Amino acid sequence: MNVFRVLVAQTRANFVWYFLRDGEMIFWSLAIPVFFLFVFSFALGGGSTRSTSTFLIPGLIGAQVLSSGFWGVGAMLATFREKKLLRRIYLTPIPSWTFFASLVLYRMTLLALQALVLALVGGFVFHVHVVGNPVAILLILLLGAATFVSLGTVIGAVVRSTESANNIASVLTVPLAFLSDAYIPIDRFPAAIGNLLRLLPSTHFIDALRGIAMYGDSLSHYTAWIAILCIWALAGTAVSARYFRWV
Amino acid sequence: MNEAAISVSRLVKRFGDVVAVDGISFDVAPGTIFGLLGRNGAGKTTTLETCIGLSAPTSGTVRVLGLDPAKRSDFQRLKRRIGVQLQATSLPEKAKAGEILDLYAAYYGVVPHTAELAERVGLEDKLERFVGKMSGGEQQRRALAIALLHDRDVVVLDEPTAGMDTFGRRILWGEVERLRAAGKTLVLTTHYIEEAERLCDEICIVQAGRIVARDTAAALVTAHGGDAVIDFAARGFALDASLDHLGTWVQKGERWQVSVQGEPGRALGAIVAHANALDVSIDDLDLHRPGLEDAFIALTGESLDEDASAPATVAA
Repeated sequence: MNVFRVLVAQTRANFVWYFLRDGEMIFWSLAIPVFFLFVFSFALGGGSTRSTSTFLIPGLIGAQVLSSGFWGVGAMLATFREKKLLRRIYLTPIPSWTFFASLVLYRMTLLALQALVLALVGGFVFHVHVVGNPVAILLILLLGAATFVSLGTVIGAVVRSTESANNIASVLTVPLAFLSDAYIPIDRFPAAIGNLLRLLPSTHFIDALRGIAMYGDSLSHYTAWIAILCIWALAGTAVSARYFRWV
Repeated sequence: MNEAAISVSRLVKRFGDVVAVDGISFDVAPGTIFGLLGRNGAGKTTTLETCIGLSAPTSGTVRVLGLDPAKRSDFQRLKRRIGVQLQATSLPEKAKAGEILDLYAAYYGVVPHTAELAERVGLEDKLERFVGKMSGGEQQRRALAIALLHDRDVVVLDEPTAGMDTFGRRILWGEVERLRAAGKTLVLTTHYIEEAERLCDEICIVQAGRIVARDTAAALVTAHGGDAVIDFAARGFALDASLDHLGTWVQKGERWQVSVQGEPGRALGAIVAHANALDVSIDDLDLHRPGLEDAFIALTGESLDEDASAPATVAA
């Protein structure tokens, strides 16, 4: 079917254009998370580097999910609109969602690659073992991706200029990662602040991912958080669908 | 099909307080080449954008091949039947020209014929080049190739030769002739007189969101070009009431131009006498038969050259 052919072709093109041919992107998306893993494992490790990196790896992957949604999809859509690429796509006969889906699929592929690299480095260097059920890990990752792609798309829908979209994406991604139990355990914050931080969808996602992947928790253990993430995802989708403009 | 391929009726488009299109109407007969000629900001692109569904009219109606581009279901059907070359679409820098053409072939559901297309637009040795490294003219030819990808009834070209060199223009003109021979309907915007004159069966002169005149190039020149055009350079020259009535004046720096109604000798005499009275010397004087540009100037009171302006008349 033509739509499927376009989806595959555009996803592949995205991967080549925005990742394989972009040295900076390769560096930021693969080397930086690994660099963080090393630095934080030694710097923050109160106990063994193994238990610290067991904590860090799902956090780093979770932070990449946030960044995929806010940067990789949200800010990219605003850039594509400003560069008048979206309107060109809009004029082609293919259903418009195909282009959006190809952007998400490209980021998912990249995310899988990032997770693999982090898991491998963690395994070989810090003897970290991923003990969770692979299907459960995949499902929680997909839910997180859906949530943050959907919230990221809100940026792409509401913000007009590339510059503000990039600013909003970085203001959301970087602090959120630090505040959502990704690198720094929430217990290190004063209790009152910690309780607030536990309300963030990013905290729910990262904690659930960590529990399921590293400590073997079941999905049902996180039913409430999963439900809340679904609500965020739906709300983001509703707002995006209402405000998104191709031109 | 006897019905108009494109029919625009009392089209108005406002952006906030700005009226970009202020009541434009025209019909384009199937198989003809229709040009919107005007300065930047005249409303040409906005008019085209409503025809291809990128922008909804504030009021008025637009029909392309009988379909309403502002209606979602019609728009979906229309997209398969129109080819479009837009101004300044920037594509990913690290994409290669050939990859873009292959990908758009998939978008339009046609078998990729990238090599053949590239040859038609003179990009056969640029297919491996990154889009970010292509010149403006090459980008335009790449965009043209996309507009030619699939077999379409209507082709819309927005400022197709902006930024193109002579080579690119010749290619574009050749492709337009091919489309004409194939009986396609073409609508293009331009601010190049030569292009409008050479390509278009019918020309609409657009100024400030309105149509000022609409006819064939020859008819526009006959009706509005005047009898002769006088063009000269004179430092320190200024108009007075005695010269003002000679025709429409345009000034660019020290160059003055007037398209004259009636016998040119008298006008020439008046200009020379006035220059002598001002003690100004006239250089490089030229008297020629009017062209489309002179008709444009007479109709709009301004030149297509953005640096030229209508001079003020100084009271004598």
